[in-house]
Amino acid sequence: MSKIKVSNLYKQYGDNHVLKGVDLEIQDNEVVVIIGPSGSGKSTLLRTLNRLEEPTSGSVVVHGEDIAKKDVNIDKVREQIGMVFQHFNLFNNLSVSDNIMLAPMELKNVSKEDASKLAKKLLKIVGLENKFDAPIQSLSGGQKQRVAIARALAMHPDIMLFDEPTSALDPEMVGDVLSVMKQLAKDGMTMVVVTHEMGFAKEVADRVLFVDKGKVLEEGTPDEIFNHPKDLRLQEFLSKVLDA
Amino acid sequence: MKRRNLTISAFITAICTLMIALGVFMAPSKANADTKTYQIGTDVTFPPFEFANNDNKYVGIDMDLLRAIAKNQDFKVNIKPLGFNGSVQATQSGQIDGMISGMNITPERKGTFDFSKPYYSSGVVMAVAPNSKIKSLNNLKGKTVAVKTGTAGADYANSIQKKYGFKVSTFDDSNNMYQDVMTGNSVACFEDNPVMMYAIKQGTKLKIVTKPANNGYYGFAVKKGQNKELLHKFNVGLDNLKKNGEYQKIVDKYLKANPNAGSSYADNHSFFGILKQNKSFLWNGFVQTLWLTIVSIFFATIFGMIFGLMGVLPSKFLQGVSTTVIYIFRGLPLMVLALFIYTGIPSLTGTKIPAFIAGVATLMFNEGAYIAAFVKGGIQSVDKGQMEAARSLGLPFGKSMRKIILPQGIKIIIPSFVNQFIITLKDTSILSVIGILELTQTGKIIIARNLEGFKVWTAIAIMYLLIITLLTWLSNWGKRRTKI
Repeated sequence: MSKIKVSNLYKQYGDNHVLKGVDLEIQDNEVVVIIGPSGSGKSTLLRTLNRLEEPTSGSVVVHGEDIAKKDVNIDKVREQIGMVFQHFNLFNNLSVSDNIMLAPMELKNVSKEDASKLAKKLLKIVGLENKFDAPIQSLSGGQKQRVAIARALAMHPDIMLFDEPTSALDPEMVGDVLSVMKQLAKDGMTMVVVTHEMGFAKEVADRVLFVDKGKVLEEGTPDEIFNHPKDLRLQEFLSKVLDA
Repeated sequence: MKRRNLTISAFITAICTLMIALGVFMAPSKANADTKTYQIGTDVTFPPFEFANNDNKYVGIDMDLLRAIAKNQDFKVNIKPLGFNGSVQATQSGQIDGMISGMNITPERKGTFDFSKPYYSSGVVMAVAPNSKIKSLNNLKGKTVAVKTGTAGADYANSIQKKYGFKVSTFDDSNNMYQDVMTGNSVACFEDNPVMMYAIKQGTKLKIVTKPANNGYYGFAVKKGQNKELLHKFNVGLDNLKKNGEYQKIVDKYLKANPNAGSSYADNHSFFGILKQNKSFLWNGFVQTLWLTIVSIFFATIFGMIFGLMGVLPSKFLQGVSTTVIYIFRGLPLMVLALFIYTGIPSLTGTKIPAFIAGVATLMFNEGAYIAAFVKGGIQSVDKGQMEAARSLGLPFGKSMRKIILPQGIKIIIPSFVNQFIITLKDTSILSVIGILELTQTGKIIIARNLEGFKVWTAIAIMYLLIITLLTWLSNWGKRRTKI
């Protein structure tokens, strides 16, 4: 069974049509990378998957439940979907460990002790075990993004959404974040990643989607997309990003 | 969804509670049944008719006469120094029963007041600085003269303004008007003859250059058609006092050669002498200002928090309510709001509102609207990504607000709060218009007696700075305690 099934999805802000009929299916353990020029609607598409953006029409079925419907308990659905943002969005009023411990303690009644153990374990995974008590403001961008990944993992999600996770980072920080993401993929996490890192897409993705002007114009394996692109706009896009 | 409704209903409950609490405060207190006590308004500074003596008791021709009549006719009076205009409005709105304030009986005023028999006859004179070249009305062309609002002097000046070609500058109390002439901003002032005579005898450096004109009669006034019994008692009592000679004694006490004959004090006009003489009076004003500030801040904070938070809830309706409340109360000048609540509402509903409650309500609405605006702005200025991140973890709206957004918002808001507290303190001075005896009003009254504007205002200014220091210290202490 597919984990996420998007059908005929439309999203518009006033006269601005951002998504114009998107169909998409994501299987268990699959890593899907979404690429496309800026303003193509790829971030909006990602954000409809946990309803941070409300679809104008169409359906978004997650774990068999259509979250486009108003009567869905969206908070329960979101507990199982981790999300990582371009600008990290770590809670500025909390320390590193409290950022990670907050949701499990508030939503799953995990004891402070167990939450603290969990935070330590996750910080080790992302390579920041010595930052347990650090204030958020003392971290570099790359460290912040790795804490953000640990925070999302603390709820034990079975889907992770990444919204341009390396776009706001200095070049030398990108590698650390990508390697954490690669490890996650290797461990079998279902991932949907919006990114400009074509190297990551080639290496890790099971499937690559090319989105432009609110539509999925082409999808396929990394080999198909990068080595044998059919769509004219995709060829044009690749020639720009790969030459650079 | 359910949770969201809970939050909203919690807010609505809180507002209702506040309204009810206010309602209880505003409920009229039960009147004493035995000897009837009347609330009588008067001017703050109109010697020799009304002024506070060194024991801060209201004395003067009007005051002594009113008390003598009350004794003669067996009723009690509670004197309220609301200022002349304040008394007019309070009488019209039914907040008080009547007023005695050196008030001329005019056909215009007869439209809205019922007057007693005239109890004093007066005329308007013009006074100038001692070395002035102004000798008569003919010298006034192109010059500015000072008058006090609502007085016979003002009416007289306005009636001859065109003929003699002068400009009129208007003041709210006599002392400021005299000062304006002494400093030379205005070349002359128009004042009732006995008032001017008394002021000069008290040391005001002006001289009278015209004969009394436009003779008028002073009357005791009640709202038209109301308090007939009180008016009747006043008339009968006045006749009695005139017959037994007490009336003449009272008038002589204030206008005959030595106006201070009756009192045994000697005025000490040094700075510390003034402080010492008015110690308890100033202290009361200080306490009243402090108390007014603290109570108002308390209610304004609750009010501001409720309407500020309402503005960030995910409900178009509540956001609209918040915006409207802020728009209205931030837009109204404080003085207009104070007069509206104190005199406007009672004249509509017939319920009296004690001045203190009206003052607190005024500040609650006005300062509260400012607080609501920066609470709302502070919360909105927290990065939108914080809420998205919290929601993406599955935290409901209310929890995200409490755990993530509010702690960050409050940090942004704190400096504005301290600032608003200081503004609230200063704004309490505006409440002197509804007769609350806070520091500013206290200062006006003391100056009306000793005419030492500079020294008294210096003392008052120091006391305001003291309270501000106290408040700042208190808020710093609070900040340390809460580790925000």
